[in-house]
Amino acid sequence: MTEMWVNMGPQHPFNHGLWNLRVKLDGEKVIDAEPVVGYLHRGWEKMVESRDYQQIIPMSDRLCYCSALTWSHVYVGAVEKLMEVEVPERAQWIRVITIEIQRLASHLMWLAAVGTDLGSYTIFLYAMRERELFLDLLTNLTGARMTYNYMRIGGVRNDFPENFERDTLRACDLLEKRIKGEYYQLMDMNSAFRLRTENNGYLSKEDAMNLGVTGPNMRGSNVDFDLRRDDPYEKYDEVDFEVCVEEAGDSFARYRVRMREMLVSIDIIRQGFQKIRAGPVRVKAPRTAPVGTAFYHVEDPRGESLMYVIGDGTNQPYRLKVRSPIFVTVSAAPKMCIGYKMADIPAIMGTVDMCVGETDR
Amino acid sequence: MAEDAKNKSTYQSRSELKPRAWIADGLRVTFKTLVRTTVHRPNTIQYPFEKLVKPDCYRGRPGIVLEKCIACSKCVRICPNRCIEMVPIESATLGKVKRPQVNVARCMMCGYCAEVCPTNAMIVTPEFELAAYSRSELMFDPFKLQFESKPGYEVCSPMILPSEIKAGKTEMHNKGDMAIKDTVALDAKKCISCSRCEKTCPVGAVKMTETGEINPKTNKPIKKPAFDNEKCVSCEQCVDVCPKSCLSMKEAM
Repeated sequence: MTEMWVNMGPQHPFNHGLWNLRVKLDGEKVIDAEPVVGYLHRGWEKMVESRDYQQIIPMSDRLCYCSALTWSHVYVGAVEKLMEVEVPERAQWIRVITIEIQRLASHLMWLAAVGTDLGSYTIFLYAMRERELFLDLLTNLTGARMTYNYMRIGGVRNDFPENFERDTLRACDLLEKRIKGEYYQLMDMNSAFRLRTENNGYLSKEDAMNLGVTGPNMRGSNVDFDLRRDDPYEKYDEVDFEVCVEEAGDSFARYRVRMREMLVSIDIIRQGFQKIRAGPVRVKAPRTAPVGTAFYHVEDPRGESLMYVIGDGTNQPYRLKVRSPIFVTVSAAPKMCIGYKMADIPAIMGTVDMCVGETDR
Repeated sequence: MAEDAKNKSTYQSRSELKPRAWIADGLRVTFKTLVRTTVHRPNTIQYPFEKLVKPDCYRGRPGIVLEKCIACSKCVRICPNRCIEMVPIESATLGKVKRPQVNVARCMMCGYCAEVCPTNAMIVTPEFELAAYSRSELMFDPFKLQFESKPGYEVCSPMILPSEIKAGKTEMHNKGDMAIKDTVALDAKKCISCSRCEKTCPVGAVKMTETGEINPKTNKPIKKPAFDNEKCVSCEQCVDVCPKSCLSMKEAM
């Protein structure tokens, strides 16, 4: 059989967003793979060099449509470090709670996507239905469905609206019931799903660490590392939570990590509402940043996202570098794909949770 | 041992799954949902005929209350996409004035213009159906931009000063409060008394006042600007217009 290169993308049902996976096939078997990114490049890092610090917050929301809050959070975190702004306690708790709501919404979006990848349209509809609950909560809080513009340098834009706690806890209760009941029945107990995801897309512990894979993908390969616990930011050091680690390292392990993380997020939200106290939510931030550098990294739903900002004493950053988790993770695609059949690729790359907006920025 | 068990997930291996797991268990969930959504309430709405109830804080396109606007250009300055522009208009009630015009095609609905507006003239509106047949239709001039204001549409983001937090205060200041207002500082040595800051001030907070000195060449009294911080809206227009850059913003910290 002759070998040939096949372009899976940039327009292909399995890739969410605009990227290309070139695979070399020997019959059905994948013998080489090469990810090609850059179709969605907007020149974001250069663009923000001509905006002042406050104007960049809504632009950093646009890095990823699934988890806008975490991206504006990592940006304001870096700038707060540079400007040496202290964030009030209540604002830190609000950030913890909203980021966990965002993580739930992002993981549900991933679950919906992985459902369509594997031909299970039911789980797509169910996950989108639950995601809507959390988007509604964030709409009530911030005024927009996806690009929130809620984080501010020195706190958050506004306090919780009326009955926010009650609504959030209700939505969390419902989701917990659904994950343990319906989703478990539809996905974990489904032999067809298990046959497609188990024992493929294997990524060993050493490869995951060497290739810089972070987040749920790394924890699926039996690496016990979570920035929320190992380098706590905001109020995560006061929250007691479990870090989800799976030993198998295959697609199903990555799926299990994300499903368990949703339950952990619900737990963190409940603890946050117990520990939050009244107080101010926003500190007035200075207009200009001093000369210097700062970086801030957080546990994004997709991995470790980092921003490195260089200030030059004006009201605009001299340079802003983004470390995107998926840009690094996608370089592990050849390691995950080689040796498996071509029909396994949607199951492998679907569980990686691609987001091209942040990859190409 | 107990810690190890906590960190490991428990789920059945595939060989332990019962044969009915192939289809019957999944279908039971589906049928339950089918009954729930048909008998009780569907999860979807028929969009053009019924619409979602949006909260008051919903950020659609920006709107303006023309009477409240003082043409301070703060919205122009803050807009990340630079889609706001001050244009001269003429109306019976207002006369010849400048008011903001928004290119909604470029607007990203961030709500900053409403957040910084000192008089709450700029508001966020719940209007999101903005599709049009041409780009010129999306250029909202001040009259087209008008929208009836409701208290919820006005954006206010109260804040506290870092110095107050250190002192243990918890009271937040709304916009326009004296405590958090940035004021203009004058470097009197550089000033050439051109009075452009007085002419450009939208609220009349700048007054050219005599300093008591007399210009030896012309024998006329020297005038320097004096700033009324109560009236000032920190719009920085005087800082921009100053030809000798002797004005600067002094931040309240």
